[in-house]
Amino acid sequence: MEIRREQLAVDPLKCNGCQQCLMACSMKHQGNVNPGLALLKILRLEVQKVDVPVICMACDNAPCIKVCPMNARVRQENGTVITNTDVCIGCRACVYICPVGSPLVNPYTGQTMTCDMCQDDETGPWCVTACREGALKISKDDALTKGVLRERAERSRAIYPNNFRTNQP
Amino acid sequence: MKVVIVGNGIAGNRVAAELRERDREMEICILSAEAVPEYDPCSLPYYLAGNIGKKDVFKKTVDDYKRLNIDVMFNSKAVSINPEAKSVTTEEGVEIGYDKLVLAHGGALFFPPIEGIRNAGVFSCKQMSEMEKLEAHKGRKAVVIGSGAIGIEAAEALKKRGYEVHIIELLGWILPVLFDEPTARLLETAMEGYGIHLHTGEKVLQIKGDKAVSSVVTDKREIECDTVVVATGVIPGTALAKTAQIETGRGIKVNRQMETSVADIYACGDCVETFDACTEETVMFQLKHNAIEQAQIVAGNILGDHVKYLGAYAFARVHFFNTHASTFGKTMRATACLLGKSELIEKQSGNDYLRVVLLDGKVLGGQAIGRYADAMGAFIGAMWRKDDLDQLRAKWSKIPQAGAAAAWPLIRLGQLIGAAAP
Repeated sequence: MEIRREQLAVDPLKCNGCQQCLMACSMKHQGNVNPGLALLKILRLEVQKVDVPVICMACDNAPCIKVCPMNARVRQENGTVITNTDVCIGCRACVYICPVGSPLVNPYTGQTMTCDMCQDDETGPWCVTACREGALKISKDDALTKGVLRERAERSRAIYPNNFRTNQP
Repeated sequence: MKVVIVGNGIAGNRVAAELRERDREMEICILSAEAVPEYDPCSLPYYLAGNIGKKDVFKKTVDDYKRLNIDVMFNSKAVSINPEAKSVTTEEGVEIGYDKLVLAHGGALFFPPIEGIRNAGVFSCKQMSEMEKLEAHKGRKAVVIGSGAIGIEAAEALKKRGYEVHIIELLGWILPVLFDEPTARLLETAMEGYGIHLHTGEKVLQIKGDKAVSSVVTDKREIECDTVVVATGVIPGTALAKTAQIETGRGIKVNRQMETSVADIYACGDCVETFDACTEETVMFQLKHNAIEQAQIVAGNILGDHVKYLGAYAFARVHFFNTHASTFGKTMRATACLLGKSELIEKQSGNDYLRVVLLDGKVLGGQAIGRYADAMGAFIGAMWRKDDLDQLRAKWSKIPQAGAAAAWPLIRLGQLIGAAAP
């Protein structure tokens, strides 16, 4: 598996749910400050008091690309997967198959939308700039080696109930 | 090496694309039974509904094949294979030699033996050529026979075109393979709200009309109509494989490398019979994502990777105007015959409904409508990993903050099923 050059990394322990990232994202992509139009969302885990920024992780083996009846989910050059709004018919298959439930439905068009890491902006993703807590970061080079990824995966794996086994190719 | 691919659909083209990406020299030949370049059958109903233009249905143009150096033969239906001579013969009698053969010709629509089913005005919804006829047809009252995913999508498309639509289903509720009765009933209510007439538990006896369809007779009523759409399922094409003495069951039998019982012949897509990734039982899910994954395995094995297929899984979504529903894995009805302690988690708030089927505490399937469907992916993940939900229910609220941050999908899963704990 080839590791991408850059990846948006999320640290829920640092996130305080302030929604600055949502504002920045909607401003960048929709020209309008409206958290409901942002390409990411913040999930609140009330019991543990954790805020999780939920964002498209651009899986290498992305199931959304395979299930889309319109082939509207397309891989960009920078590795992100976005919805081609010319053909998306708003069936939400990508929302339902996504392991993290990251695609969001545009309330005006009914089409889905996911993070493109602000690929046309040289200054980098706006949400990263907007996040004062350091919960959203760009990971690259040393922070994105196989060892680091494996270690992170182990951390979450330790929490899962027994009989954990990976089955996906 | 020369690879011949029978079938110009999703699976066939995927094999060709994967091979070409890694091997510039390989000779690739696609035999297409149809006259058009690759298109996506999944998007045909949306073309019919007018959501998209005709060009968006196509995934390739004739030039794309040239650019990729793939030799494609249109209107060439393969009719027999000679595994000793390593050749395929088409309907016109053209013989094509191969080093590796890939069967990806999919399935054919099942036409139930009903009187009048070949009348003018009876359409199907599986192929481009059929869809064009339906698109050009001008009617105002349509009967859809069968309420599988294709039937429901066709019904929505026809409704959008201004038809009065009736759906006839032989079994007790709509989408009987994908949904259990309670979920289907909620969908039925929603669809009736959009003005669709549903007749479940009815058997079509006859399609009346000489030149054009005039009515459909069921065991309970006669419905006047000018259009009939047959959507009673797809049967895998095994006739071609049988000419080479390839083992077949319901579909072509393949091993985990997607090889058939005859050397150098692979099969993938709608025509194969494969196994469920989670329960290991023999299944036939004729779904797009399975076709793509199988095609990747075929391409990998042709190139000598020795990759193994991990199994097919059921995942489908149905939408009707603003009602969205999703399903994966097995239904409660299909679970009834399995040994073990089966359990049902149900949640409902307003029009949103969640139904998760557990067997011995492990997720086996689920269905959801509305808001709950957005979290379907978390349950699919739990099914893949075989998470023990009994443990999860007992523990999720006690997982500390750091753990929650690392494995938040698990907490979300716990939240969703939490209130339903016994």
